Amino acid sequence: MSPPIIQTDQLTVYYGNQRGVVDLDLSVNQGEVYGFLGPNGAGKTTTQRVLLDILRPTKGSASMFGLDCQKDGVAIRTRVGYLPGELSLYPNMTARGFLDMAASVSGGDVDQDYRRSLIDRLQLDPNRRMREYSRGNKQKVGVVAAFMRRPDLLILDEPTSGLDPLVQAAVLELVREAKTEGRTVFFSSHIISEVQAVCDRVGIIREGRLVATESVETLIRQQFRRLRLTFPDSPPAFELDGVTETARDDRTVILEIRENFHPVLEKAVSAGVADLETIPVSLEEVFRAYYGGGGGNHG
Amino acid sequence: MVNLLGFEIRIRRGAIIGWGLGLAGFAFIYLPFYPSVQDQFSGISFEDIALYQALGNFSMATFEGYFASTVLQFFAVIFAIYAVVNGTATLAGEEEAGTLELLAAMPLQRWQIVIAKALAMIVSGVFILAIAGLFVMAAVAYVASQVETGITPIDALPAVWNSLPITICFMMISLFLGAFLPNRRVAATVGTIIVIGSYFGNNLSGLIESLEPLKPFLPFNYYNASAEIFTEGIPWGDALTLLAAAAVFLLLAVLAFQRRNLTVGAWPWTRNTAK
Repeated sequence: MSPPIIQTDQLTVYYGNQRGVVDLDLSVNQGEVYGFLGPNGAGKTTTQRVLLDILRPTKGSASMFGLDCQKDGVAIRTRVGYLPGELSLYPNMTARGFLDMAASVSGGDVDQDYRRSLIDRLQLDPNRRMREYSRGNKQKVGVVAAFMRRPDLLILDEPTSGLDPLVQAAVLELVREAKTEGRTVFFSSHIISEVQAVCDRVGIIREGRLVATESVETLIRQQFRRLRLTFPDSPPAFELDGVTETARDDRTVILEIRENFHPVLEKAVSAGVADLETIPVSLEEVFRAYYGGGGGNHG
Repeated sequence: MVNLLGFEIRIRRGAIIGWGLGLAGFAFIYLPFYPSVQDQFSGISFEDIALYQALGNFSMATFEGYFASTVLQFFAVIFAIYAVVNGTATLAGEEEAGTLELLAAMPLQRWQIVIAKALAMIVSGVFILAIAGLFVMAAVAYVASQVETGITPIDALPAVWNSLPITICFMMISLFLGAFLPNRRVAATVGTIIVIGSYFGNNLSGLIESLEPLKPFLPFNYYNASAEIFTEGIPWGDALTLLAAAAVFLLLAVLAFQRRNLTVGAWPWTRNTAK
């Protein structure tokens, strides 16, 4: 297996006394779409800025393509397309002028046909000045700028923010295409449905710490199972550790089971369970389960 | 870096035209009126007024003296304000606006970003003076056609260009302040205090003996706003001193920018969390 494209080791960033991220061990493999999931202030943007050497670690290290993010920043950034979460553009420039500048400063060759196709797919008029654009149109400029060089790694912070549903779908399609071409995508978002739609693996960050990293399926499976049990009469009480009763009526009970799965089944069987149904758990519910104790407080 | 420099100059086009015409307008407010006011000044002995002499060899008896006393005296001050406005907008302002993050994410060394921006500021200053200089030459040509004067439009050029070294010095001081201090507002405030303090400190040091030791540290000490500039040309020693100071502050700006966290508006001791 090839070495990770992104790797952080005990990465810690503090802003004075304020927490950015703490002991973050991150590993993103070549060719995967890695979802970095967390609410505002959890530390997603801080992590990305360290990767791009915009911020410096207080402790620990970060590398991309096997190179140190601080020492080899220029070599790394040549291979990266970045879409910041808080995108600010030069108000008096046209989108075309900005894209030309970004291409020339970045030094790589830009396939003009590909750039045109991106502009068309995102329905962007590149000849207007930035100050005339809506937030969504500015976001489109940022998306084109990030993708147009076909970089080996895309770091996208809330890429669909401010976009209408059709353009959101187009952006997610671009992410899938990048994956098909073998490129890597670091997809930071707090919109769980789109992470579930495009990501191979998900890292959940909470209050600056990575609390889980798994494939979407594993994450859902590991967190809890939800069962609807139907009985001929009134359902029994399931007072077991790791078992939560979320609904009940005359004959059915819905349980979320984190542990003690077998005792639940045994109790259900002994009570004469008539039907057993698994209710799918969404990534959003998993995410909420991780965030049961609250969110973060700094970017 | 060359591409970034071209971009940085392009985004300053509006400022170049605006400030160039503004400085030209300032010169045009004063110079063409000399023929109509010269009689009023001919009877005043400015040499006997200490405050005026503290401002330099102040005289309005000749057009050269009038030119120096009205235009040159304030040309550098106005231009220095541009230096502070542009210098603090360049790193601190862009950091606050968020555009610096995009640049920092491009494959550029941080020192390249600072140097490209510093060069673009200097080029913008050159263009501003070129625009202002043309209008000053036109004004001098007009005055020379109306009254007897020893200076020609060409003689006015060294006087105009003499304000470039002090402006570059204030540009680099402001660039450093923008790289070091937590936000543009603080940097601009400090920069403005330095400009005003340097200007009045230099002038008052001619009146207050105890201020004399400060003079070597005041940029305006190295700016000649007297009529001597028309006969003796640009004082290259002073100009080089100012440019050397500018180089020092540029170096400090590079060092401050090289080490620090970007996108974090905070005092240096809390945002410099580098290992």
